[in-house]
Amino acid sequence: MAIVELHGLTKRFGAFTALDGISLAVERGEFLTVLGASGSGKTTTLRLIAGFDLATEGRILIDGADVAALPPFKRPVNTVFQQYALFPHMSVRDNVGYGLRMQRVPHREIGPRVAEALDMVQLGPFAERAPRQLSGGQQQRVALARAIVNRPRVLLLDEPLGALDLKLRRAMQLELKELQSKLGITFIYVTHDQEEALTMSDRVALMRGGRIEQLGPPRELYDRPRSRYVADFIGETNLLSVEAGRDPGVVVANRAAGGFPLRVGVRPEGVPAGVPLWLSVRPESLEVVSASAPENGAGENRLPAIVRDIVYAGSVVKLHLVLTDGTILVAHRAPSDPPFEIGAGVEVRWPSSQGVLVAD
Amino acid sequence: MRATLIDRVRTNRRVKTIVASAIPVTWVVVLLLLPYALLLIQSFWRLRNGTLTHEPTTENYRRLFGTSLYPATILYSAGVALRVTIISLVLAFPVAYVLAFKVRKHKTLLYMAVIIPLWVSYVVRAYAWKIILGQQGILNGLLMSMGIIRAPLTVLLYSTAAVVLALTHIYTPFTLMPIYAVLDAIPPALKEASQDLYANRWRTFIHVILPLSLPGVVAGCTFAFVLSMGDFLAPQLLGGNDSALMVSNLVWSLFGVAYNWPLGAAVSVVMLALTLALLWVAGKVEARGTYGGEARTSVTDYAAPV
Repeated sequence: MAIVELHGLTKRFGAFTALDGISLAVERGEFLTVLGASGSGKTTTLRLIAGFDLATEGRILIDGADVAALPPFKRPVNTVFQQYALFPHMSVRDNVGYGLRMQRVPHREIGPRVAEALDMVQLGPFAERAPRQLSGGQQQRVALARAIVNRPRVLLLDEPLGALDLKLRRAMQLELKELQSKLGITFIYVTHDQEEALTMSDRVALMRGGRIEQLGPPRELYDRPRSRYVADFIGETNLLSVEAGRDPGVVVANRAAGGFPLRVGVRPEGVPAGVPLWLSVRPESLEVVSASAPENGAGENRLPAIVRDIVYAGSVVKLHLVLTDGTILVAHRAPSDPPFEIGAGVEVRWPSSQGVLVAD
Repeated sequence: MRATLIDRVRTNRRVKTIVASAIPVTWVVVLLLLPYALLLIQSFWRLRNGTLTHEPTTENYRRLFGTSLYPATILYSAGVALRVTIISLVLAFPVAYVLAFKVRKHKTLLYMAVIIPLWVSYVVRAYAWKIILGQQGILNGLLMSMGIIRAPLTVLLYSTAAVVLALTHIYTPFTLMPIYAVLDAIPPALKEASQDLYANRWRTFIHVILPLSLPGVVAGCTFAFVLSMGDFLAPQLLGGNDSALMVSNLVWSLFGVAYNWPLGAAVSVVMLALTLALLWVAGKVEARGTYGGEARTSVTDYAAPV
């Protein structure tokens, strides 16, 4: 049974619809990431589950019980806030023990549980410090300890790593993931960082305009995006404007680029010829060879292009290529690959199975 | 070489600092420290047969503490100030709370509405109470027209209660401002975090909002207390016979009626010392209100020259 269920959840602020009837079932022990750009409704979703805002329509079930009318202090969830929201007038220890005191947990239990939670986030020696005497990363851990000490059934995290620098963020991502599998608590994690979503989650719900655009494991969102938006949002990709071909098999014609045929792995089912579509090809799937190179084999797409720019990015070299119709493609190559000159005429190749057709 | 003075000021960092700080330093010395120093000196001169003589003496202080009149007056003034402070706090805190947390629209406008009385001359506000509470006043008129009383009440005006009422009216905005400032600065996420951690609204108020508002409460109370303790116009206008018992009125009559400047100065010095002690205590209380370090806002940030 799902631990959190959202049914037709809608939130309107005056005339603005922040959340437009989303339905979602979160499994017990799952790490679910709600991913989206700002204003997509991801934080609103979290605030409705926590109880900070009340839904305009729809139901929220936690462990089968409808909590939509309950205030935050009666819901079996805890939140890790974006700016941590630590109580500045209390020590780290008192911050972490706050939830237990408010639940009137017996005093002799509070001490050991707080100590345990602090050890779990490696902050044992900092118990008597004031929050402002800690670094951003340490404050983040206190916020985490303050939530998990209550052993909530669901932990809500609102961009918890947003204020940290890149290196610390990466380290905390792994630490969070580890903690989650150790504790077995269900995590609902809100972020706008697609890389973070891919790294940590069991499933990702990508939101757009108050709706869920696509829900699935990270791999599925990356490999089989359902729309142009998903393909574009998750990872880097090249989008080619195409239309469904007359051949019902695998061929699609590139409209703007003079209509030469492109083969795709998955045939667009039930799409009549002439319907505009997008072909998404990841930069790492593109192979760039000199224009005179011999053909590699069947099932490959080949387009002539000109090298416009070369960007060195450490582990990869990003080649910006211009097609004859002016479309720009980005291809990733290893730094050890033979270099090209800017302005050189080349050929872009990719296996037909690597192209994914998506609707607009 | 014509290295003028201006050039030297321009290039020398130390000279620059001295020149830049000259005006505020002069200001403080001439308008603040000098008068207090003169007051202090004055309090040690002797008055002989109504004439000021420049003979140092501690007679004024011995007289001050030797008779019950002066300590009693100070205690009475403190009592009035305490009442004003408590009523101001009870009035100001809820208003500041509602302004900071409940009002969404027209927040500034409402805040201005609370603060606007400060723009009206103090004398006008004190006089307004004379008009309201007087024998032919608005309140008596209202009560008579409603048939609650037959003859105008004379107890309303010229009483300690009238003084407390007017001072409360005058100084409540001073109490409200710092309280509102600290409440408004509390991030909404702290309230949400508290509720997320199983504290209902009341416990959130007790455990989070109230402790975080303490610096503002202490600052506001200090304002109300210090300002009303030193007030002399409201007691003069509204206090009647009781007015002679406020310490500032006593100082005023020592200087203006009795021409006993040294004794008046001595009373002033004692008052000044008490006030500074109070500010010091208030600062300590605030620092204790926050965990592990300095208070976010301090009464000394607000404290005007007394």
